[in-house]
Amino acid sequence: MSRPAFSPEGVTLGVCLVAVGVLWTLSNLGRLELLPVIRTWWPASLALWGVLELADLWVRRTSGRS
Amino acid sequence: MSARKIGLLILILAFGASVETAWQVRGDWRVGPEGCRVIGGRFYGPSYSFEQTAERPVPAGAPLRLEARNAFGGVSVTAGAAGIVRVKLRKVVFLPSEEKARAFADRIALRLSADGGTVKVSTNRDEIGRGEDIGFETHLEIEAPAESAADVRNEHGRVELAGVGSGDVVSSFDGVSVERLAGGLRVESRHGDVRAAGVGGALDVKTRHGNVEISDVAGASKVDVEHGDVRARTTGALDASVKFGGLEATVVRGDLAVRGGHSELHASDVNGTARVETSFAGIHLARIGGDVRATAQHGEIDAEDVAGQLFAQTTHGDVRLDRVDGPVQAIADHGGVQAGGLAKGARVRTSGGDASLDGFAGPVEVEVERASARLAPRAALAAEVTASATNGEVRLEVPEGSHFDLDAESRRGELRAEVPGLSAETAGRPGRGHHVSGKLGGGGAAVHLRADGDVTLETRPALPIADRPAARPANAASTPAEAPAATPSSPATPSKPAEAPRQR
Repeated sequence: MSRPAFSPEGVTLGVCLVAVGVLWTLSNLGRLELLPVIRTWWPASLALWGVLELADLWVRRTSGRS
Repeated sequence: MSARKIGLLILILAFGASVETAWQVRGDWRVGPEGCRVIGGRFYGPSYSFEQTAERPVPAGAPLRLEARNAFGGVSVTAGAAGIVRVKLRKVVFLPSEEKARAFADRIALRLSADGGTVKVSTNRDEIGRGEDIGFETHLEIEAPAESAADVRNEHGRVELAGVGSGDVVSSFDGVSVERLAGGLRVESRHGDVRAAGVGGALDVKTRHGNVEISDVAGASKVDVEHGDVRARTTGALDASVKFGGLEATVVRGDLAVRGGHSELHASDVNGTARVETSFAGIHLARIGGDVRATAQHGEIDAEDVAGQLFAQTTHGDVRLDRVDGPVQAIADHGGVQAGGLAKGARVRTSGGDASLDGFAGPVEVEVERASARLAPRAALAAEVTASATNGEVRLEVPEGSHFDLDAESRRGELRAEVPGLSAETAGRPGRGHHVSGKLGGGGAAVHLRADGDVTLETRPALPIADRPAARPANAASTPAEAPAATPSSPATPSKPAEAPRQR
């Protein structure tokens, strides 16, 4: 059984890791204050994941009809 | 839902919770000796300070009573111009932005009112503090005429008085500092240290969980302290009650009375009498101008340079005395007595510890149990000496020039009387009631020696009973401790121990 190419949680985790890494780096460069930004935007990761799950579900249903 | 999704959900939520927690405690965490800890509450984080001033004229020269009421902020009262009371209120508001802090600070009002000879200073913090979860401090800085009587009640803030007429302070959870008062001072404090320097009248301090330091008090001082140390320097008569803390008193221009519990007591340069008691700690006295009465349980007693009579009683500790001009009575249960320079004799009783008197004049009576007695008068014996030892020995060092009637007995030991000139009659034999009686120098005062063990008499050269006279207390130019201890050329007049203090 082959593993699906698109995984919502994988994409979510990847995007979050990229975001945290970029923000942390910018914080170290003195461009922004890390804690307020993360505190404001961390719930967006849940929203992103939910959107990706919905998209995944829609893609599966669409491909099943065709 | 797969395990991967559950794991990711937990990871994201844990991350978010960590971020939120860090956001809540930002600025409130401290790293100290106790480690890293987070301090919560309203009085942390960013704060902004604002000031408000007010003044009120008062009749110049008339007695003024100043009442200040505050909490969560300091109160300072200093001497200012005559005929006016000036107050500065400093408000410190703990809010994230200056705009919000200023808006809140505008609601904090200074109240300054006068009613006859009384001026009242306070704020409306009780009214605006209810139901608000905002931390704010109110610091009152008051300038009042120098003759003002300051009456201050404060909590969670330091109280400072300087240069005013008198003070009455009730404070908690911070310190009290007072200096240069013309009149008296009363302080009641909890969880804070008290320091008073330069009080022109009487002093009354009561504290719990705080140290007390007083100095230069003209009147009598009364101190009641629990869970704190007391340091007193240059005071009038001092009456102290101290529990679970030590006391150190230096230069007391009057009588000293201390009731201690679990308290180490040190007192020196006391012009008057010293009556001290404690438990589970020791008593240390030096340069006392009057009589001494020291009682300790489970603690030692030291006293030196005492001008009057001395009574010392202890359990489970020793008594050490040096240069006492008056009669001495010393009792040590489960302890010994070492004394020297006793000018007017001694009555000593010990159990479980040796008694050793090195240099004395006047009548001496020593009774020891389960221990031995050593008597070395140094000066020629001229007064009655009685010594008995149960389950112990007695040794008497006879100075040259002594004259006395001897009556000595060793019940189960040997009696040795190696004193030239002693005309002695011996009865019994060593180990079974060895008895010697006789006269030295033609006879004189009675010397009675009894012991279960050996009894020994040896000759010694005559010396002064002390290496130097008893020192006087500092700042005691006319106190009774001026006369030196007795010397062989001027022996002290024999008297009964523990009698009334001698008059000079």
